[in-house]
This record gives sequence, C-alpha cells and structure tokens, in this order.
Amino acid sequence: MSYLTLSTGIAFALLVLVLAVTLLFHRARARRPHAHYTHGDGLSARLLTAAVALTLFLAIDVTLAVRATQHLRERFWNYPDADPNALRVEVTARQWAWTFRTAGPDGRFATPDDVVTLGDLHVPIGRPVYLKLRAKDVVHSLYLPNFRTKIDAIPGSTTRLWFQADEAGRFEIGCAQHCGVSHYKMRGWLIAAPEDAYRGWLARAETDSRLRYDPADVTAHEGWDWETGR
Amino acid sequence: MTASPPPPDAAAPSHAASPSPSWVSRVFSTDHKVIGKQFLFLGLAFLAVGGVMAMLIRWQLARPGQPVPLVGRLLFPGAGGVISPAAYTSLFTMHGTIMIFFAVTPILIGGFGNFCVPLLIGTRDMAFPRLNMLSFWTMAVATATLTASFFVPLGAAQSGWTAYATLSTAIGAPGAGQTMWTVAIYFNGVSTVMGAVNYITTVVRLRAPGMSWFRLPLTVWGFFLTSILNALFVPVIAAAMVLLFFDRVFGTQFFIAGSTIRAGGDPILYQHLFWLFGHPEVYILILPAWGIVSDLLSFFARKPAFGYRVTVWSLIGVVVLSCVVYGHHMFTTGMSPLLGESFMVLTMIISVPTSLLFLNWLGTLWRGAARMRTPMLFCVGLVFTFGIGGLTGLYLADIVADQYLHDTYFVVGHFHLIMAAALLLASFAAVYFWFPKMFGRMMSERLGKLHFWPTFLALNVVFGGQLLIGWAGMQRRLYDPSAYEFLAHLLPWNVWISRAAYVLGAAQLVFVVNFFVSLRWGKPASANPWEVGTLEWTLPSPPPHHNFDVIPTVVRGPHELGHPDALARGKDWLGQDEVVS
Repeated sequence: MSYLTLSTGIAFALLVLVLAVTLLFHRARARRPHAHYTHGDGLSARLLTAAVALTLFLAIDVTLAVRATQHLRERFWNYPDADPNALRVEVTARQWAWTFRTAGPDGRFATPDDVVTLGDLHVPIGRPVYLKLRAKDVVHSLYLPNFRTKIDAIPGSTTRLWFQADEAGRFEIGCAQHCGVSHYKMRGWLIAAPEDAYRGWLARAETDSRLRYDPADVTAHEGWDWETGR
Repeated sequence: MTASPPPPDAAAPSHAASPSPSWVSRVFSTDHKVIGKQFLFLGLAFLAVGGVMAMLIRWQLARPGQPVPLVGRLLFPGAGGVISPAAYTSLFTMHGTIMIFFAVTPILIGGFGNFCVPLLIGTRDMAFPRLNMLSFWTMAVATATLTASFFVPLGAAQSGWTAYATLSTAIGAPGAGQTMWTVAIYFNGVSTVMGAVNYITTVVRLRAPGMSWFRLPLTVWGFFLTSILNALFVPVIAAAMVLLFFDRVFGTQFFIAGSTIRAGGDPILYQHLFWLFGHPEVYILILPAWGIVSDLLSFFARKPAFGYRVTVWSLIGVVVLSCVVYGHHMFTTGMSPLLGESFMVLTMIISVPTSLLFLNWLGTLWRGAARMRTPMLFCVGLVFTFGIGGLTGLYLADIVADQYLHDTYFVVGHFHLIMAAALLLASFAAVYFWFPKMFGRMMSERLGKLHFWPTFLALNVVFGGQLLIGWAGMQRRLYDPSAYEFLAHLLPWNVWISRAAYVLGAAQLVFVVNFFVSLRWGKPASANPWEVGTLEWTLPSPPPHHNFDVIPTVVRGPHELGHPDALARGKDWLGQDEVVS
C-alpha cells in the first residue's frame, strides 16, 4: 500500500501547490487589474493538459491496476484448492454470530464428527486457512482486520477466502456488513497457535463436538460437502 | 431595468400571469423560478433534518450509550434520552436516505436546475411547466411518506441507505417503516425522472437563438448530463423498489434466499440493481456541482474557463463511463475475478476525464485575477476537498486495498468528502451566487465568510478523521465501536471528530441567519452584481414572471472575461448576447 499512499500523496501535494500559488499570487490587485485572457484551447495548452493527465494515469492508475491484478492472481484469488495441507473451514453467519466447522477425523464435512465452534476460529500457524462462507438470514461480512481482508457471507451463495497466520495470537474477527440492530456485537476471535498447541486444542474440541452432537437437531446440521456444496 | 409586461408571444408557455397571484397559483405554480425555490426550501429543510441526525450519530460515536444532552429526552423518551441500538440504526439509515434523496437532490437538481436552466439558456420556462409542478408535488408525496415512516410501530427503516436484501426484506426488517421507505424512494424517483425529461427537452428544444451546444454555460451542461443519467438509471432503482415492495408485501422472493429459507431469489441481484443506479447517482449529484464550479471559477477568476471543450467532453466521458463502473461497490461479494478486474480497470479509467476536469479548473485559476468573494471561496474549497475525495477513491478501486478498506470509515470519509463536502460546498456556492437573482437581494459577504471558514476547516477534520479511523480498521454502522477491542483506542479520535462535527453543524446556523436576514433586509441586488456575461444577469433581480421580454440572440460563449473588446469599453466582461460594434 505504500506505493498507493505515495503516488496519491504526490498528486495531492501538486494540487495543493498549484492551488496555493494561484490563490496567493493570481488575485485581483492593483498591479493585476485583469486576468490573462486565454481559453486554454490552443495546441500547447491541450498538449500540456493531456500530458499531465496521461502521466497521472500511467503513474497512478495503470500501475495500481497492474500491481493489484498481480497480487490478486498470485495471492488473494489463488485459492489453496490443491493444497491438502490447508485447514478447510466452513463458516455459517447468522444474526449475530459466526459458526466455524472443520471436517473432524473422517476428513469429510456434514458428518457427525464435524468440529463446530461458535465465535472462535482456531487455526494453526504456518499453513493456509481456507474458508467457505454461507449466511442463514441476511448478508454479513467476515472481517479480519489484522489480515487486512474481508469477504461477504451471502444467503443463497457460497463465498470463500484464504489467509495464513504466521504469528501465534488472538486476533479479532468482526462483521463488516450492516446486518441488523446488533451488528456491532457480531464479533469473534481468531486464535492462531503453533501446530502442537493447535492439535492439542483440536483433540479436546473433537470430544466436545462428539458429546454435543444431537442427530435430532437438524437445524444445527449446517455443514455441506466441501466440493459439491450439497 | 424594470419589469415590463410580457409581449404577446404565441410561443411563450402559458402562465396564469395575474399581477397579484392568488395563494393557490403561488403554491401550485408552474413558474420554473417558483418551483426551483420550492425545491430549494424543501431541500434545505431536509438538509437541516439530516444534519441533526448526523449530530446525533456523532454524539453516540463519541459518547456511546450516554444520554443526549438538551434534546435527548424529547427524541428518545423511552430510553431516558439514550440512543438505543435500534434508534441508532434508524438514524444512520435515514441520515443517508434524507441527505442523498431529499436534501442534495432537491437543492441542486430540483432547485438550481429549475431556477437556472431556462434562465441560462434564454427561454421563458421549462418545456413542460405542468410536469414540472407535478414533479415537485410528487417529491412532496415522497417526503411526506418518508416523514410519516418515523411514527409507525418499529420506527423508520433500519437497513442502511443501501437497504441491502435480505436485511431490507421481511427477514430483517418486519416493520412498516421499511415498506414506506421503498414507497418514498419510488416516488422520489418518479419525481426525478419527470424533472429529467423536462430538463433534457428544455435544453434540446428551447435554447435561445445562437445558443449552440458549445456556448452553453457549463452549469447547463452539468444539469443536462445529470438528467440523461437520471432518465436512464433512476428507473433501475425504481424497479428494485417495486421488487423489494413485492417481496415485503406480497410474499414474492426476488431477493430472498438462504440455507434455512428455501427460495429461488438472490440477494446479490438487489446489489446489482442498487449499484447500477447507485454509482451513476454519485455522478448524478456531482455533475451539476462540477458544472456550477467550472462556471464560477471562471467568473471569479475573471478569466475564460480553461479548455471549455475538453471540460465538456470530460463530463460526457464521465457520464458514459459512470454506467460501467458500479461493480467496485461489490468487490467483497466474491464476484468472479474477470468481473472484479474489469470493474477495477474501468474505475481507474474514469479518473482520466476527472483529472482533465481538475486540470482545467487549475488552468482557469492560473494567471487569473481572482476575486475572493463568498461563492469563490466555496468553489476553491470544493477543489480542495474533491481532490482528497477523488484520490481516496483510488484506494477503493484497488481491490487489494479495498478488501481491507471496504465497509470501513475510510469509505465513509471518502464518499462524504464528495457527496457531503464537495456537494454542500457547491450548493452553498450556488446559493450565494444566485441568491441575488432569486430574491433580488445580496447575501452578507461578512457572514458568508464567517460561514465558509469554520465549515471548510471542520468538514476536513470530520471527513479526514473518518479516513484515518477507517484506515485503522473501524467498520461503518457500529452502534458502539468500543465493543471491539481493536477499536477501543480510537475513542479519543471519535471524540475529536464529533467535536469538529458539532462545529460544522453550528457553522450552518450562520448560513441560516444570513439566508433569512438577507431575504428580508439584504442590500437590494443590481441586475448583474457579479459582473458576468451569462443570460440570467441581463434580467432584473429577481426576473419577471416571463423572464425575457425579448428572447435574446446569443453571439458568444459564457465566459468572455478579460476580453480585449470589453477592456476597451472599460469593463472586463462581455454578455453572451452583447453586440460589440
């Protein structure tokens, strides 16, 4: 983002400079009774305008678009579909909470051994975390401020996001899309831990989830098959 | 110059031209100048309402959960003067709705569009005077519906001014307030389209002889191009409102889907419809402002507008491109990479005509002989704030930056710098500039400057501060940001932003005083107090009912300031219809 702030900062500084010069010096005064008469439609004026506009366009817009496209293709939109090592998580958003579901020992979603947590997303550091999101009621947006990213969760569709934690810690999860009166309370925690600690937590969570599983409570069976979406 | 009776002219639009019009013919007037003033007063009244809501929002963000002083117990009696989460949600929803649809739209397009377009092109009224009247009264129905929605059970709409489905359907908003909101926006749109058709026809058909397209004041270009966008895209939101109304009232499922609600609709469809209108809407509002500022910078720099034709083609370029950039509002909906990258590139391209426009403004100021009167101050202020607003738009067009900044206060600061700061500065410039022509009296320069400086400084602190707390990650539309640990340290920032906002609000009282005092006691205005050449200034202030005794013949463009022929005659401007022998 430094190129973004730098390039737009320079453009803004130039604007302020020209504005300051004209406002300080090009005012109606005794020794400047009237303005320089020009319509600014001569060839040189037009060439100058075009040259400045083109320079700004190339230096800021084109550069930003190219860099952003690169980043998107290499990183943000390059989902770890082929990476068996990635932690896959199904996220269900509802007013006003996040539910996180991992596949459990059988490696398949929407089975009784799924590991389900409410509000807390536990991840290991050093490997990709791959989220797929759905919403039960209204549009929400999973927001990871420390990871500088977010993705909407939309009723009727499945969206996805991936990131990787490289440091252990507790990072806040927010909702970024207005989702009703208690939107501001729709928080959660991302708990990133070293692989060992994560596995220790996972073992306890698997037991918890197995004990909590209720075959009759079908509304709680929110998982779906990772690949087919059914 | 004195008003003289209209000459018998079969081509003149029919008026009830009695010398002392009755109450009915004054209220239900077909005179574009009266209708313009009606829109202006309506817009200014709702600007005050929306402004008070902004103050309440700022109070809650600075002092979360504390009772509002002075008016709290009156406004929120059930909660002991505290703004509840539900009330707060209604406040930001209605603040946005009112400011965009019921304040800025009527002030700029309804008010100044009506007042200026016929006068500036040299005709006696709009092409369809009765449609014009109907446009105002349709807007009145919309405002009445919106106002009534505050008093129904569950209160006014709460799904944000964007009213994203499914939050705005019965799933998220069961009350009648949201339904009335869709009706109000629909009628607001009907009014706007009536106006748009009228402006387009008027500019195409009723220009005075010699008023060729490239002799039009840029103000008229602004209103004309805005009207084209209005005619094309307001029907899109009207359609979205109809579908949303059906979903809410008749149980259809255009926008409803979900894992618990099995239905065939798609909430994303609503976002497409909304932003297909919503992004052009930004340009709908800013084009008149750009036109007005382009003219006024020339008038007060005493110099022809730099690169007039390039400016016109840039405005047209913005209009064309504005139709194909709306997807940048939806970068976080998981749109396909092809769509995302296309919208990013198209959004970047729209900065080319915008920067040409900007460079022409600076070119106009360069080597001018600027008279720093109140309208000029507001225009220069606009150039500055629009500079920040425009450049921060690049951050949001860049998808990598946007996926962090989307739905944060960075977005709020960015669009307020344009939709609030730039549009208000342009609106105030227009009021100070045309007030003498509208009401026949000058506004006070001293109070005008006293209005400008706190307004300009405070709005940069408010919206600049919003950019910073957005950069720090604070989301929009949070009742209490300190619910988040990572936002708790921003409270002092919010306190200072709120203080600046109160200054901004208080500064508007200077404008209110100036407006009403000048209306009654202002210095009587001469026909041409600003010494400029566009056609409205050839008329007495205020102009007679029929505007022009004789339709003028236009011989030159609108910005002949500092022309050698004029200097030879001991002044520095030439009128558009002035014959120099």
